[in-house]
Amino acid sequence: MKTSKILAWVALAIGLIYFFLPLIGTLEFSLRMRRGAYSMDAYQSVFSDVQFQQTFGFSMLMALLTIIFGMLLVVPTAYWVRLRLPQMRPVIEFITLMPLVIPAIVIVFGYLRLYNSSSWIPFTGSTQGTNVLLVFSYITLSLPYMYRSVDTAMRAIDVRTLTEAAEILGAKWPTILFRCIFPNVMSGVLSGAFITFAIVMGEFTMAALLNRPAFGPYLQLIGANRAYEPAALAVIAFAITWLSMGLLQLVSRFSKLAPSRP
Amino acid sequence: MSFLVLQNIKKSFGQTQVVKDFNMSIEKGEFVSFLGPSGCGKTTVLRMIAGFETPSDGAIVVNGKNQNKLKTNQRNIGMVFQAYALFPNMTVFDNVAFGLKIAGKPKEEIGARVKEMLKLISLDHLAERYPYQMSGGQQQRVALARALAPKPQVLLLDEPLSALDAKIRVSLREEIRQIQRQLGITTVFVTHDQEEALSISDRIVVMNAGRADQIGTPSEIYNRPATRFVASFVGTLNIIDATVVDPAANSVKMGDNLVTLREPIGGLKAGDKVSIALRPEAGSTLATAAGDTVLTGTVISSHFLGSVIRTKLDIGGNPISFDMFNSPDVVLPQAGETLSLRFMASDLLLVRE
Repeated sequence: MKTSKILAWVALAIGLIYFFLPLIGTLEFSLRMRRGAYSMDAYQSVFSDVQFQQTFGFSMLMALLTIIFGMLLVVPTAYWVRLRLPQMRPVIEFITLMPLVIPAIVIVFGYLRLYNSSSWIPFTGSTQGTNVLLVFSYITLSLPYMYRSVDTAMRAIDVRTLTEAAEILGAKWPTILFRCIFPNVMSGVLSGAFITFAIVMGEFTMAALLNRPAFGPYLQLIGANRAYEPAALAVIAFAITWLSMGLLQLVSRFSKLAPSRP
Repeated sequence: MSFLVLQNIKKSFGQTQVVKDFNMSIEKGEFVSFLGPSGCGKTTVLRMIAGFETPSDGAIVVNGKNQNKLKTNQRNIGMVFQAYALFPNMTVFDNVAFGLKIAGKPKEEIGARVKEMLKLISLDHLAERYPYQMSGGQQQRVALARALAPKPQVLLLDEPLSALDAKIRVSLREEIRQIQRQLGITTVFVTHDQEEALSISDRIVVMNAGRADQIGTPSEIYNRPATRFVASFVGTLNIIDATVVDPAANSVKMGDNLVTLREPIGGLKAGDKVSIALRPEAGSTLATAAGDTVLTGTVISSHFLGSVIRTKLDIGGNPISFDMFNSPDVVLPQAGETLSLRFMASDLLLVRE
């Protein structure tokens, strides 16, 4: 075997150990709640905790709303930019990349200044309003991933010609968008949805500063006060992320079947 | 009044005028091809008929109704695109049914019409397939069926064959023509392939720089090109520089050869320079060949091309190609040899700029 090949394997092994060893350690630690034996006690304790159920459910709902409203914003925008305003693409791309550059804490402080209870639009004046603001902030956070995945899916189909083909057959805009374009960028929509789901489920800053009972702050709370449960929660959080990534892979594999072009 | 009328159509994109005062009348059931090089404005005219582009000036009238104010989805026009544009998420059946569903037709009627259309393109056995499971030729046939299903007033074909391989292209163009004849639908076909246009059209519009240089039957376009551009774009043509000798007698001089043209040289005087066109297949070097005109020149080169032999002659400084059919006893002319090319004077065309 060549030296370069051996070195490549060594580099890979170091990378895998670096990544997996802490995970294995965490998993092993999460199983040691019962003295002297491996058990699922930590997981049982986590799952039976009412606060876990509430925060997990709340974050799931927030993630779902983020995905729905985010996609309703992103898909028509990406479609319109591709179809009618291609010159605006760099501007839109720049805007969607902003959340990667601006820290979440800066964004949330901006929100609190703009939408506090004594402002013109007092989102934080009520619980429902704060929840709406939280969804908006999650949409902002997931914009870079949502826009990119949808835009990439649109690149794979000939949006302009498909639109024209539908139009000449008598279709109007809602039909074109929901029956001809949306189903054909579903792989991108789902990819964006899974990433958004993973981001929202673990997000801490926005939820904590807006004082909402989300899963991220719950993770932090448990981490500060318990011994074994945080390890179990870390494993659960990883499982959610990996599940999302797995579904993402599955969706992109299916999407390979879709395009039909000369 | 004609079925489809394009009146003084103009189209500008910014400062660039891509269609300049385009006029055309198409009869019901006619198959008209727009032929021209890339950027000549042929697709823009087609897109204006479809409603994807708005004319800067002029009117588009279909069946007596001005279409200018109508949106694309209100025009009842069918279109087949170069890139097929089938909806990837729908089966063949659903693709063909799309226009009918939008029109709100009853389910039974949709089913019957889709079956009829699929039978027409001989793909009724592939109704449940998705576009990605079909070849390019099959997809384009489905696109044709989809365009025809809602019974459009006019069918527009935007280079529908250019993405296909040569063999499929020939068979599909014949199929398109046969279906068009069967349904009697008014059709506008855009292509840059002269063979395609010549083989299937009732009339051809040769477009150049946003204008229609000539409108005529395939035979008129090929045999009687109106401009130098049409002459050079359609088929292979020799353009020979000549000098007018006697306008009254229609005689011109090409090198040392004095020939008399059939068509009158109106408005020219002796000594004027003119261009004369001659098709490569018009002449023959055989002494027995029919012809009232002879051009003599020196052989530059001769190439065996299978069914034909193409020889290049130098006539008064003009390189002229001519073709003769191959047969076992034909001897290839040698470079430097003097040859006489015999043809009918009517084959010589005076070409205007």
